[in-house]
Amino acid sequence: MTLTSLLAPYWPTRKGLLLSLAMVAVLVALPLIAADSYTLHFVWKVLFWALAAAAWNIAGGYAGQFSLGHAAFFGLGAYGSTLLYMHFGLSPWIGMFVGAGAAVAFATLIGALTLRLQGPFFALASIAFAEVLRIAIVNWRSFTGGAEGLSLPFDPSFANMMFSDRLWYVYIMMAALLIVLLITYVLERSWIGYALAAMRENEEAAEALGVDTVRAKLFSIGLSALLSAIAGTLYANYILLIEPSTVLSIGFSVEIALIAIIGGMGTPLGPILGAVLIVPLSEYLRAEFAGSLQGLYLLVYGALLIVMVIVMPLGLMSAIREPRTAARRLRGVFGGSSRRRPVREESRHA
Amino acid sequence: MSAIIVQLLVSGLLLGGIYALISIGLTLIFGVSRIKNFAHGDFVMVGMYLTYVLNSWSGLDSYLVLLIVTPLMFLFGLFLSWAIIRPIQGAPQVAQIFATVGLGLVLQNVTLMIFGGDFRTTASVFAGKVLRIGDIALPAPLLIAFAVAMAVVAVIYLFLKTSYTGKAMRAVAQDRRSASLMSIDVKGIDLFTFGLGTACAGLTGALLAPMFPVYPTVGINLVLIAFVVVVLGGLGSIAGALIGGLAIGLIETLSGFFIGSEMRQMAYFLVFLAVLLLRPAGLFGQRGSEKLGA
Amino acid sequence: MLEVRGISKQFGGLRAVNDVHLSIGKGEIVGLIGPNGAGKTTLFNCIAGAFPPTQGQVLLEGRNITGLKAHQVCRAGLARTYQIVKPFGGLSVLDNVVVGAINQTHNIAEARRIAEEALVLTGLANRRDVPAASLPLPGRKRLEISRALATRPKVLLLDEVMAGLNPSEVEKAIVLIEAIRAHGISILIIEHLMRVITAVSDRIVVMNHGSKLAEGQPAEVLKDKTVIQAYLGEDFGAHG
Repeated sequence: MTLTSLLAPYWPTRKGLLLSLAMVAVLVALPLIAADSYTLHFVWKVLFWALAAAAWNIAGGYAGQFSLGHAAFFGLGAYGSTLLYMHFGLSPWIGMFVGAGAAVAFATLIGALTLRLQGPFFALASIAFAEVLRIAIVNWRSFTGGAEGLSLPFDPSFANMMFSDRLWYVYIMMAALLIVLLITYVLERSWIGYALAAMRENEEAAEALGVDTVRAKLFSIGLSALLSAIAGTLYANYILLIEPSTVLSIGFSVEIALIAIIGGMGTPLGPILGAVLIVPLSEYLRAEFAGSLQGLYLLVYGALLIVMVIVMPLGLMSAIREPRTAARRLRGVFGGSSRRRPVREESRHA
Repeated sequence: MSAIIVQLLVSGLLLGGIYALISIGLTLIFGVSRIKNFAHGDFVMVGMYLTYVLNSWSGLDSYLVLLIVTPLMFLFGLFLSWAIIRPIQGAPQVAQIFATVGLGLVLQNVTLMIFGGDFRTTASVFAGKVLRIGDIALPAPLLIAFAVAMAVVAVIYLFLKTSYTGKAMRAVAQDRRSASLMSIDVKGIDLFTFGLGTACAGLTGALLAPMFPVYPTVGINLVLIAFVVVVLGGLGSIAGALIGGLAIGLIETLSGFFIGSEMRQMAYFLVFLAVLLLRPAGLFGQRGSEKLGA
Repeated sequence: MLEVRGISKQFGGLRAVNDVHLSIGKGEIVGLIGPNGAGKTTLFNCIAGAFPPTQGQVLLEGRNITGLKAHQVCRAGLARTYQIVKPFGGLSVLDNVVVGAINQTHNIAEARRIAEEALVLTGLANRRDVPAASLPLPGRKRLEISRALATRPKVLLLDEVMAGLNPSEVEKAIVLIEAIRAHGISILIIEHLMRVITAVSDRIVVMNHGSKLAEGQPAEVLKDKTVIQAYLGEDFGAHG
């Protein structure tokens, strides 16, 4: 049993499940060991990005619905629960589901309208939808606070999903991540998972084999939106400030997709791995080079993306699983472009 | 009131000409090499900064600097194509999106690190000068940009129609494999096309620099507009990029006046969505495919 | 089993398929031949639901499946393969076939069993864990067929499965086709290799320019003058 096989949960195995539990156990233990507020915040961040990326992963990684507009769902969740809390005093625990409902509705709309769009066109449409939503929210000042966003008054209580002790936030985020992880595993093993994978690999062939791709698309985008919205609510109640320029921005959409991709999209652990790698890196870069080399971490992101795409397009997980393929690709870049790749049938939209 | 309408129409068309120029690069790269270059707006940004640097260093007017910037950007495009685009040519769509997004991030942040986030301006004898015809005001930089843009569009169109390289590009756009069987150097065409597209973007940047503030993330909005134009006009279609650009320029200017500047963006996003959903091939693209239509 | 009544397909000004009638009985193998551009694959697409026909009807076991979407047609019991194979490259061979099997059951263990059976029939069982992308062409063709078989079809549409295979692989494929028929599945097969068509077909249908040109026993049809002319070969016999 090598490390490689331990880290290869694409075809779900008990080992993969154990490993995820181990990772989560580490994260659970961490705040107990170092319970200072900075560490807690840091752990929360890692978990948050992992959650957001894992939610994206269901649509983007598993179903091949590569969206760059997920901020819309996240934002609907954040705004939904926050507005209900601020105007009606509704507990965010319940408001969360209302926000999620709105996100699912929006996702269904987008999904239904974009059925015929492939690859980058779908990505572009998702950007456009998210931007339309953002602009609408920014302009509906009276209701949504416009560009300044909404500030949640801090009134700690369980019902308000606000806590004086950060540890609570961390545990809630962990629980949420665990749930999403579980959902991802179950999905992957189920017949729905197979249908989504087939659709992702080749939509036409999937249809010919009996996969109702319309329903599969709507399902995957809807589920992904629901989970993203929940992440939005959790974010709002911790950060206590939601602004369109953060929660509804293209940058945010790109970042969550980025984390899932770098870690390995289409695998349950990929998003977590991505977050564990990227968040500390960005914190470090931001701290080290604040002011003097502002923007360095984004530059590193960008460079990482480019390198990644060339060397391991399926993310870190695939490089770990198949290091020889990754090495070969790396050699191929330097060894000339006439390398023979394995014969691949051209997709319809090559 | 009618004078206002005419002014808006004129301004919209002039702006549209610029949009057309940005989009031509994008549509060429897409049509020939099938690369969706999400960094295209950042290429414009690089052109703007190059203009700024050369302008403030040499004192030469921005419009003269343009003559240096454009070939430089062409070479830059060749380099990028060789270094980054070539290795991902066969990669899945998703990978291409991300590589170019990554490239954009790198360009934005290198610029941010070198120049900081402050707005820059470039100097030109034409900046601020306005030509008046009757009640219509035509800002000189905008007029020049429009004229250059139209000239470039025409030149590129003729180039594609008459020159060997141009025809080779069209061949590659229609069928890569057959083109290579006809001993067309497909890889060379890819490189050249990317260089050409980058040069167009850089040129636009040089034209915009005297008119608009220059800052590292200016490209993000521009690339979205470029995609809207290209989708509207039809991927790979020169005529489409032209008409689409003019159309979007008009839509944006008119809606800015009637709906308000904040909702302006929403107007063209909605147009974008309408096109994507109703006729993804665009006005001039072939139905159901992404072939070169020009 | 399968009845195709007066199918026509119009693309703008082009009539790709013109009033084609065809029927296949249970356990029958019907060969569909014709020069390139005759409309054979378009006919397949109309039958299999890739797009609806402009006119005409398709009946499967008496049930009207005209214009149903591809996945519905599959559920109804008609499966197809593609001329240019479309494997799910990132999945293993077994997982590819499981996708077909989930039509029959939502239970994964059960689906795997069905998939295994299909793989045994097509001879890919020992490569079940291989990523589909790394299969050579003959393997991919077999995979294509395995997937279709896992949907437990009543009728199977094979679109040029022999293309790109060397002679010994062709022989094996012929054996496979017979084995499939032995399972009671009716087959409609598009093929260019005459040797294969004559070996497996109970009947042959010839198409040209979208219309049905001839139909009958292989021996008769292939001697028919109009058929020979359609293929532009007076010396057709030499290519048999």
